[in-house]
Amino acid sequence: MIETKRPPQNTRREIVALPVDGAELALHLWRPRGPAKGAVFYFHGLQSHAGWQWEVGPQFADNDIAFYVLDRRGSGTSGGDRQDLADVDTLMRDYITALEHVRRTIGDEVPLSLFGHCLGGSFMAALMHHPDFTTRYDAVVVCSTWLGKLHATLDEEQRRALAAETSTEPWDPGLRSEDFTDDPRHRHFIDHDDLAVRTLTRRSRAVLLGLEELYLRPRRALPPVPSAYVSGVRDPIVDLDDARAVYRRMTGANGALVQLATDKHYLFFTDFRARLVDWVSTFTLLQGVDRDG
Amino acid sequence: MDDPLWLKHWYDRRGPFEAECRRARDELLVDLKQPALAQQRVLADVIDMSAGSVHWKERGYDVVADDPGRFRSVLPVMRYDDFVPEIRNETRTKGGTLTCSPVLRWLKTSGTTGAPKLVPYTLHWLLTYRIPAMKAMWGTYLEYHPELLAHPYATLDTQTVREDVYDFVHGIGHQAISNRHPKVNSRDWNPPWYESPWFGPGVPSSHEGRMYHRIRHLAARDLHYISSINPSTLISLRDILAQRADQLVSDLRAGTLEGRPYTEPDERAARRLAEVLRRPDFTLKDVWPSLTLYTCWLSASASLYAAKLDAVLPGVAKLPFMSCGTEGVTTIPVDDSLHSQPLAVSQAYFEFVPAEVPLGELVESGEQVETLLFDEVEAGRDYHLIMTQGNGLYRLWTGDVYHVDRIVDGTPWVHFVHRDGIFHSFTGEKLTESQVTGAIQRGLRSQGIDAGLYMCGPRWAEPPYYQLVAEVPEPSEQLDRALSAAVDAALHEINIEYASKRDSGRLGALEAFTVRQDAIAAYVESRRQGSNTTQYKYKPFQRDVDFVTALTSRRKGVRT
Repeated sequence: MIETKRPPQNTRREIVALPVDGAELALHLWRPRGPAKGAVFYFHGLQSHAGWQWEVGPQFADNDIAFYVLDRRGSGTSGGDRQDLADVDTLMRDYITALEHVRRTIGDEVPLSLFGHCLGGSFMAALMHHPDFTTRYDAVVVCSTWLGKLHATLDEEQRRALAAETSTEPWDPGLRSEDFTDDPRHRHFIDHDDLAVRTLTRRSRAVLLGLEELYLRPRRALPPVPSAYVSGVRDPIVDLDDARAVYRRMTGANGALVQLATDKHYLFFTDFRARLVDWVSTFTLLQGVDRDG
Repeated sequence: MDDPLWLKHWYDRRGPFEAECRRARDELLVDLKQPALAQQRVLADVIDMSAGSVHWKERGYDVVADDPGRFRSVLPVMRYDDFVPEIRNETRTKGGTLTCSPVLRWLKTSGTTGAPKLVPYTLHWLLTYRIPAMKAMWGTYLEYHPELLAHPYATLDTQTVREDVYDFVHGIGHQAISNRHPKVNSRDWNPPWYESPWFGPGVPSSHEGRMYHRIRHLAARDLHYISSINPSTLISLRDILAQRADQLVSDLRAGTLEGRPYTEPDERAARRLAEVLRRPDFTLKDVWPSLTLYTCWLSASASLYAAKLDAVLPGVAKLPFMSCGTEGVTTIPVDDSLHSQPLAVSQAYFEFVPAEVPLGELVESGEQVETLLFDEVEAGRDYHLIMTQGNGLYRLWTGDVYHVDRIVDGTPWVHFVHRDGIFHSFTGEKLTESQVTGAIQRGLRSQGIDAGLYMCGPRWAEPPYYQLVAEVPEPSEQLDRALSAAVDAALHEINIEYASKRDSGRLGALEAFTVRQDAIAAYVESRRQGSNTTQYKYKPFQRDVDFVTALTSRRKGVRT
């Protein structure tokens, strides 16, 4: 458990190269210098990458949590086409490989949480339902994700057209830094981050639709692990009512709803960052308690 | 009214701060008696922190993890500019590229080309090296002058500041090492006065404004100690007291700070200070009779301030500041020696190259450089310093030349002599010849003139400044003025330390004089005939300004 009587500790920041299917993927890690007592695997959103976690990572590590972020194929410092999402199977294989590596590294005893932010939550939900994903995890946090967005906003015919989309023309998701945070420093960072993915090809949206299919029409049940949906009280990008409804259907009795008093989308770039990290750390570490011991 | 919170912080931190500083000094003293072990430990730590980095793995440097003895043969000697591509990547990953520690800040310092450097300030470096170095130095100060913690008004610390940061690189602050704001965590630099009203980010950010706030807060107090890095800061403190004497007396009398209510009126102190400041030759000791200590750099060009410091701080004891740069700490004072300090063997892995070796040329051509370790240097000789720091900058040729004074318990005691390639530095601005050349070219270009022969030198005055003589087709006083302003402005842009010292009044404006074409050539020729006929040659950068008088003797308006 978290030691409450010690000063801040030295931590490590590492980048592991994972060769998967012709690309070298960057698995970023912040960890305590000693053994980790818990681990969090973070799924980043559409435009972000591990470089956005410079404040979050060290705090998780200081809490004795190994914090992993895979720069998705084509994002951050990973290889791959930058504006064109790979197909669903390739993307799922990337995450499966990364999570197998993580579980192997931390060992069986250490509790592992999955944390998906924004679109990353959709990748995460898809992975959790993917038949080839067998790595054990112990808790789940969905954060500011509009689960099933394309299914909620497009009718059947539009979805059919989208699924058949092959255009490589750019599609602009219209993300604005002022929706993410009020903080000028973080807004400046978002606006000037040259590693951020600003547009995707139109056919990439068909991949996003394919991801949604995996969890909206699940082919297997989820393990009974505790989970939470975390967001602000409002979100300028996400229809929270719709997102939570999908989340509740997905997690049933294992789900909890957590709200933070902000109306911004990127909670880690708000005043709630430190408290959210501490909460997720505790949520993760508690899964390691041996209640039969 | 005093804020009780800062006073509470002072009293809460006094004991722990003193214990931490003394412990750090004790640990350093142990290392100085077994320098080989300390150097071994540092090298092992550096390898542990970097062997897993992207850069080391890409280059195959990680092989030294299994054989630290190959460190010098596998890794090349580097200049800052050689690290720039990795630093560019590191600004995006914030750790993991050069070293496996989170980057917390980018430290800003002047680069050779004028673009400020980005020196990675990592969590590991902060906790393991930079903060312990500060504490060890303060441990020495406390050992010799415990009165600096006698009460909350005993110390005026100008060596560190707390300033809000407005410059960011991919979200991370880009700031001077001396700016300890914001505090990273409870293990960051946290002296008892960290929350004091004259120390926090609330004080004006201009040099003069901040200095006035410091003075006002401590004016009528029993100040024992003034801590500074550059001696010019101490001279400037006295100058600002003189310039703002009336305001200070008025503020003391009314209990105000810059006219706003601050504390109880103190008529007695106001009267006493008015009397002191009325004397044209008042000293800081007159202002604060309780002064017992000041610290600052005392060697190399800083030693030229010795007479001025003696005049401004008569009878006040002095101790040296550590030899350090933004890139790392080289020596830490452990006793009251003024001009020599032990190599800080616990701070970096040090290598040396005899000063007569043209190291710049060897590094430029990529040749293998033979280096000496700390136990291979000889007393009485000068050496280039190469250091490997725990922030990922390995085998960095610092450009600094050190003199080995003696060897004690196996540890070299050294002092900084000069910077290789540095033309001059009055007060930390470290002007390089290429910076000055660039500024002159820019200045002449702004006047539509192609650069010809010129000479530049440092003039000691209060404040000191640079003088320049340049050959032009049509010399005139009007052109002198325009060129003075243009070159000064160019240096301001090229060298951030020059800008800072000019803005704070510690350096005067550069003064340029134009002379007819061939005037400098004739001057050089006359010198050749008068002295060493074979070896005298044209040197644009001079150690003094004798050439100015000689070249402009028929011109009016020369400041002397």
